[in-house]
Amino acid sequence: MDTEDDTFSDDHDVSDDVVSSDSDFTPETNSGDHREKSYKVLSEEDIKRIQDDRIERVTTSLYVSSGVARVLLNKFKWNVNELQESWFTDEGKTRKDVGLAESRKKHVGTKKIEKLDQLNCSICFEDFVCDVRVDNCVLCDHQYCNCCWNGYISNAISEGSGCLSLRCPDPDCDVVVTDELVSVIVGGDDKLRYERLCVRAYVEGNEKVKWCPGPDCGFAVEYDDVVGSGEGYDVVCGCGYCFCCNCGEDGHRPVDCETVAKWVEKNNAESENTTWILVYTKPCPKCRRPIEKNDGCMHMTCRKPCGYSFCWVCLDDWGKHAYNSCNSYAGRVVKENNDEERVKQRARISLERYTHYFERWAANNKSMKKSFADLQRMRDENHDVLLAKHAQSSSQLKFVLDAWTQIVECRRVLKWTYAYGYYLPEDNIAKTKLFEYLQGEAEAALENLHHCAEKELTEFLRDGTTAEFNTTFREKLANLTSVTKTYFANLVEALENGLADVDSGSANKKLKTGSSSN
Amino acid sequence: MVDIARVQKELQECNKDKDSSGISVKLKGGNSLTHLVGSIPGPLATPYEGGTFLIDIVIPDGYPFEPPKMQFVTRVWHPNISSQSGAICLDILKKEWSPALTIKTALVSIQALLSAPEPDDPQDAVVAQQYLKDYQTFANTARYWTEAYAKSSSVGIEEKVRRLVEMGFPEVMAKDALDAVGGDENAALEKLCS
Repeated sequence: MDTEDDTFSDDHDVSDDVVSSDSDFTPETNSGDHREKSYKVLSEEDIKRIQDDRIERVTTSLYVSSGVARVLLNKFKWNVNELQESWFTDEGKTRKDVGLAESRKKHVGTKKIEKLDQLNCSICFEDFVCDVRVDNCVLCDHQYCNCCWNGYISNAISEGSGCLSLRCPDPDCDVVVTDELVSVIVGGDDKLRYERLCVRAYVEGNEKVKWCPGPDCGFAVEYDDVVGSGEGYDVVCGCGYCFCCNCGEDGHRPVDCETVAKWVEKNNAESENTTWILVYTKPCPKCRRPIEKNDGCMHMTCRKPCGYSFCWVCLDDWGKHAYNSCNSYAGRVVKENNDEERVKQRARISLERYTHYFERWAANNKSMKKSFADLQRMRDENHDVLLAKHAQSSSQLKFVLDAWTQIVECRRVLKWTYAYGYYLPEDNIAKTKLFEYLQGEAEAALENLHHCAEKELTEFLRDGTTAEFNTTFREKLANLTSVTKTYFANLVEALENGLADVDSGSANKKLKTGSSSN
Repeated sequence: MVDIARVQKELQECNKDKDSSGISVKLKGGNSLTHLVGSIPGPLATPYEGGTFLIDIVIPDGYPFEPPKMQFVTRVWHPNISSQSGAICLDILKKEWSPALTIKTALVSIQALLSAPEPDDPQDAVVAQQYLKDYQTFANTARYWTEAYAKSSSVGIEEKVRRLVEMGFPEVMAKDALDAVGGDENAALEKLCS
């Protein structure tokens, strides 16, 4: 065991170099509150190293084999201190609890094997020759041939993590099967599966470690605190997926977990009403040909010969389109003709209001996923194309990756601000105005950035001059990235303050979930 | 794959002391060692006394690392056995199964279950409710069912033939066998299997 592993102490030490290193989006304006807590992304190899280290600490302090140490650590959720405390308080009980009762073995390994060489297996009832390697790993006196051990253990492995606390096949025997025996007996796929389950046991037993919920991601994230006990903060996994450590949803800064949960529940409840929104095609406002949105930015251009340029969200002409007017929900005046009419109209307006926010939330959600895929593609393929055409080294292309990272983060924030907007009390006009102003500014900046990174970059992937790429384009994209970053930092800060700037009277009152209109 | 050698050994072992234990296991029909019929006597001093209960046994591919699938063929009124299907609720036939157990030990456990029902963990909710709320009616019903379904003399010849046919024997052979042994269903089954 090398000394480097000492960093993995029981206190879940966090080494700074792995903390959120993948994320460039950390607004500097944040004033050191709970959201700044650190975390550590762990790969399978990291977990194995931590486990090996703790097993070694247990074998040397309790004088037990590594197999026994693993059994004990699984039971004590890989907490060495708790294990040691329990062990030194009552070793007998600690042993008994995990199936390590006082060894009942009458013979030990090398002693008088010749007497034991003809044994009868209690499973297949056939005679067999004692295998010393197996006999050394079995902690009780029950005798089974290797073939039956294999059947027994393989069957347990195929049923899942229960195989980590497998007991002797004898129904009256409580003695545990250790990983030492497993590794002598099984091989191939079963062995791999068992090893994987051993690694998983570290995460599944540990309240401070959780798997990344990202698709096909094998990383786990280790936190300072028990998960699910406090307020959330966004975590960026090694796979690039950003999620909230508290509720496991997509990262949702600056909106709190409660609002997110409410919004998600609302969306599920409203799914019937809003099914039509999820049909992702819209007819071109000019030529009526159906259009599927397949890029991330909201600026749509219909195919030739139409060529109409419009906003995907409000379908207005892009040329005339003042972005600020599209993001705000212009509430309608209720004409109070009679009660029935009023109820109907209220219901319609309430649905329309919800639809307004949901549609924008969903559009940005889809756009975020698309941008994430674009970012990956930029890293995997397009990076090399640009490198071959326009750049000498990867560092010269960093501004492109920065732009895409910024787009993904901003789409995520923007998406959640629509959930925030929905729950913002409608009657607080000042707050609503400020919110819509900040959101509109940020959104307009993001659209510019997204368009530039998506459409203008395509030119340079095909041809485009290197000189232009390295001067005008670089400057434009870098500027847009920086401007967008600032706008979003302002937006996040304002929302986290509960838009306190507008009412100094009740300043700092954190806006949580306002009254919804239904 | 099923450990055929072990099943064969188990059958020999089990039938060695069938006179003293009353428990026997036979092939269901044909030569397959994966489909068997077990027979257990109703325990003394229970409503099942005097009955002979047949249990359908299917040996799964993973045997003995997976439990044998057992269910009553004979209808029985018991909180842990379905009065409709004969399904048995017994831990050792499910998660508590161990390869160190055998068909014989499972049948012994089922016999013990007849002696000591566990109405708190019911398979048949109606029976379990009756057992807890009105034990006397439960005992009477169980005794009646034993008389009606678990005694060879209580079953009409047509019914016996039907059951033997259900087990996979041709109708003609079933009738002949029953005639030859004087209507005793178990004896006829033995004859058919031999």
